[in-house]
Parts: sequence; C-alpha cells; structure tokens
Amino acid sequence: MSVDFSLEELMIIESARHIRDGEMVFVGTGIPMVAAMYAQKTHAPNICFVVETGPISPQVLPVPISVSDPKAMYRAAKLGTLREVLGCLLQRGMVDLGFLGGAQIDQFGNINSTVLGDYQHPKVRFPGSGGANDIASLAKRILVITPHEKRRFPEHCSYLTSPGYIDGPNGREKAGLKMTRPELTVVTDLTVMSIDKTRGKLQVVKLMPGITLEQVRENTGFKVEAASAVITVELPSAKELNILRREVDPEREYLGKGKD
Amino acid sequence: MAKIMTAAEAVSRFVFDGAIIGMGGQTIGRSAMSIYHEIIRQKKKDLTLVGCNLSIPMDLLVGAGLVRRTECGTGNLERFGTTFCWRKAIEQGRLENEDYSHLAMVTRFLAGEMGLPFMPIQSLLGSDILHKKAASTGKKFEVVNNPWNPGEKVVLLPALNPDVSIIHVQKSDEQGNLIIEGFLTHEPEMIRASKTVIASCEEIIPSEEIRKYPERTTIPYVYVRAIVLQPWGAHPTSTYRYYQYDSEHIWEYQRCAREGGTAFREYLEKYIHSCQSFDEYSEKVGGLKKYNYLRQEMMKMV
Repeated sequence: MSVDFSLEELMIIESARHIRDGEMVFVGTGIPMVAAMYAQKTHAPNICFVVETGPISPQVLPVPISVSDPKAMYRAAKLGTLREVLGCLLQRGMVDLGFLGGAQIDQFGNINSTVLGDYQHPKVRFPGSGGANDIASLAKRILVITPHEKRRFPEHCSYLTSPGYIDGPNGREKAGLKMTRPELTVVTDLTVMSIDKTRGKLQVVKLMPGITLEQVRENTGFKVEAASAVITVELPSAKELNILRREVDPEREYLGKGKD
Repeated sequence: MAKIMTAAEAVSRFVFDGAIIGMGGQTIGRSAMSIYHEIIRQKKKDLTLVGCNLSIPMDLLVGAGLVRRTECGTGNLERFGTTFCWRKAIEQGRLENEDYSHLAMVTRFLAGEMGLPFMPIQSLLGSDILHKKAASTGKKFEVVNNPWNPGEKVVLLPALNPDVSIIHVQKSDEQGNLIIEGFLTHEPEMIRASKTVIASCEEIIPSEEIRKYPERTTIPYVYVRAIVLQPWGAHPTSTYRYYQYDSEHIWEYQRCAREGGTAFREYLEKYIHSCQSFDEYSEKVGGLKKYNYLRQEMMKMV
C-alpha cells in the first residue's frame, strides 16, 4: 500500500532513525527537535533530551519554538544551567548524538552559521554558533538536517563555525579535538550523506525514494562520491506519518509542506 | 542600604556610558525588558553587550544606536527569525561583534566569577571562532598543552566580568536574595562574575521565606545592588510559571526591526519614548486582558 508523504516528512523520519533508545540527545529547536520528539514517540521512548538553556530529560510538548519555550521544559528531571548541559554533560563526553543545522555545509562536513564573506566586513551575517560549535566538537555522533540546495553545499565554508572533519581524515585530530573520528551524517530531502572516514569527506549512502544520484550531484556545490552500495531510504508507514502529523507537530509549526 | 528602587533610578545609578552589560535571559525567555526600556529612555550609550544568546533587548538597544560592541554565542530569535537590527548593523559596519560559542561564553563567566584570569575549554579547536576576530579584539585565546597529558590540547579563554548584569527573576526579598525558577541558562555564572547586578522581579517576598528555605535561593544578596519590582517586566518574553511569551507582540517587533527606518523609530516612540514607565507600555500592549491570557497559556505547561 502506498502512502502520500513529502520528502520533508521523510527527512524528519529518517533523521529520527539515527537516534537509538536510551541515548542522550542534544537538540535545539526547529526540525531537529521535531525529529527527536518523533523518535521519542516511536522507537526511542527512553531518550534523554538535553537543551542548552538547562532542561535535562524533559517530556517535550508539541512543539517548542525556542530553547526557552516552557514546552521544552515540561516534566524535566532537572532544569539546570547552560554550564551544566554544555559543560558537564557535553564536554565530559556524555552526549551520544548532537543535532545541527546551518547555512552552509562543505565537503568535509564543516558547518557555517556565522557569516558569508569577510568576517570583519560580512556580506551576510547569520546568527552565529550558539551551542553548535560545542556540539560538533564534543558529541559522539553528529547529525545535520538541512534542505538540499546547491548554495548550502559549497566546496569550502566561508567561515568554519562548527567542525566536521575540517580538512581531511586527520583534520580533527590535528586540531586537537577529543572526538577524533565521530560519525557525521547529513540528512536532506534528497539524500543521506555520511563521512567516509578514510577520506574525511561526505559521500552519498542513501537516496530518497524517486531521487537519483545525478539529481543530488546537480544540487551539490562540491563533487560528491557515492558509497559502493547506495540504498533507498525506507518508506514511511501510514502509522509513522500519522504519529508525525498528529502527535509530534499537530499545529504544523514546522511541517510546512506535508500532506494530510 | 535600600535596594528596592524604580527602573529609572537603577539605570541612572548603575548603568553608565561605555559599560559592559551582561544580559540575562535567553531568546524569548525572561529578558529584563523594563530595565532596557529605561536605558533607551536615558540614552546610555557606547555599550558593550555580552551574553550567550542575545535577543530582543540587544536588538532594541542596537536599533536605538546605543551599542558599540557585542560579544556572544548568537544573536537570534529562533522561530521568530533573526535579530534584524543587529544583523544590519554588522553588515553595514556600524557594530562590532565578537563570536564565541555558548560554552565559551559561560566558561569566560566561570573564570570571572571565581576571580581567575582565564579558564580552559575543549571545544572551538579547529574552527574560525578561534582564527578570526573583530578588529578591536585583543588576544582572544591561547592553546596550550595539558601539563599532565602532553599532546592534549586545551584552549584558554580570558575571564569576562561585566560592569553590570541585568536580569529578570521571579522572586526577590528586599535585601536582594533572588529566586530564579525554570531554566537558568548562563545566568548564575554571569551574575556572580559581574561588578554589580540590577534585577527586576515579579514579586517581592518576605525575607523570612528566604531564610526559612535558604537552599532555594539562586543568588544571594551579596551580588545584587538594585531590585526593581516590575510584574510582567519580561514582556514580550516569557517568565517561567508566570506568563508565556507574547507571539503577537514579538511579530510586531520583528516587522518593525526588519523594515527599520521609520517603522523602527515609530516602535521606539510608541512603546518606549512616549511611555513614562513600563506600566504605561504594559497597557499599550494589551494590559490585564493580554496578561491574563499569557498567564493561562503558561499555566497549561507548568
């Protein structure tokens, strides 16, 4: 039986599949929060959410629009401090998976969320790191969710806000980062890319249903290789879509184009 | 020493031209708006604003032309978009910003609150947050080897001690013992690192209540110089257990900030310059009816 869904919805569901039950997951707001909430309502009921304002293990209500939204604090085990979550939990090495977004992601999985152009005289100013640099530096695994547009995937970021593999397989080690070779995955509405640890570069590992490798390459600013066996992202079930649409984001705060 | 005073008095006594201001709250939660309105009315200028997420009050002060420099992890309002005045001022070269991560900013406050000159951190390595800086920033960091584990790199960041931190809290007694409910973000470290602190509060509670349950005190009076009783003082941002953020007003602000020019000047005139006090502003943004609505919204979630 075929079910109607948008690639945006599948992008969220596919991202959620990277979360394992029982893990400590660091999330900001937006699509990453939606994905983590979906995981909690499906295969990963025992995840521990951590939010930078201080909430530890909240039972997040649909859908917070800010890290200071009380919906992100609901029935938490503790409302702590930023130092406690970013310093203690994350920097100590207790966070399993960190979610990130960003304006630009380059071939090494580095993220720019700071400026386009010269730092002192930027053409475009973005919000900046927030906790993103800390998460990219210190989480055991990194998951980036972003719409797939060519301008978002340049060969090199014009400013490196949050490290991926920096400039190659040993980039993080040379820089002195403790997490030298984390799993780093980028989920978009066209594809799933992950870091090939021998080259330190992103490669296509999965394609969204109906999307070809050529389409991914046309929409990517750097030359992207494909893994030896590229598979198709598993289709969502009617039940999964129902949970996403009715329980996770019923007000369609973030699910813009999804069909009902 | 009497600490309870009006916002006007607190700002005139403890905020000065050129001050480094530590900003409490985070995005659309618990910003001390009544104090910032007063800074705009008194035209305190050449300010340096520091904090983790700098949001609406930072954007207002930048738009009012009172800010020389910001140091932060981010300027943004998440679902409500970017901080438009800040973004435009940086792109047009009218404002200098120095970028750190959130952990880096709180680490600098942590050094400051403990009277230490610097503090180590192990993020930032390999990023442009280390390698690029604003024109007037001096030495931004030092990377050293861990003396106990040579080869392991550690970043040292300089302490940050704001001249005055400005925060909004739920409860204070008249001595300035503060109780903050809900998320605490970077505030405890920043407050204790600051040379002085202005706190607006929803309620003044009896000192007897503080002294009976002292483990509930978030910040003891020794750090605090001014208490401003201002119910709804964080509007349009939220105060945990008291009222939700006001989406309607935040969108109105964002429209004016995005458009800039006349629209922004009219916002300042209507909601700040033409108001004698924050109570007058509160009436203009919907008064008791709006307040009760936002209070009910919050009560659904706590």
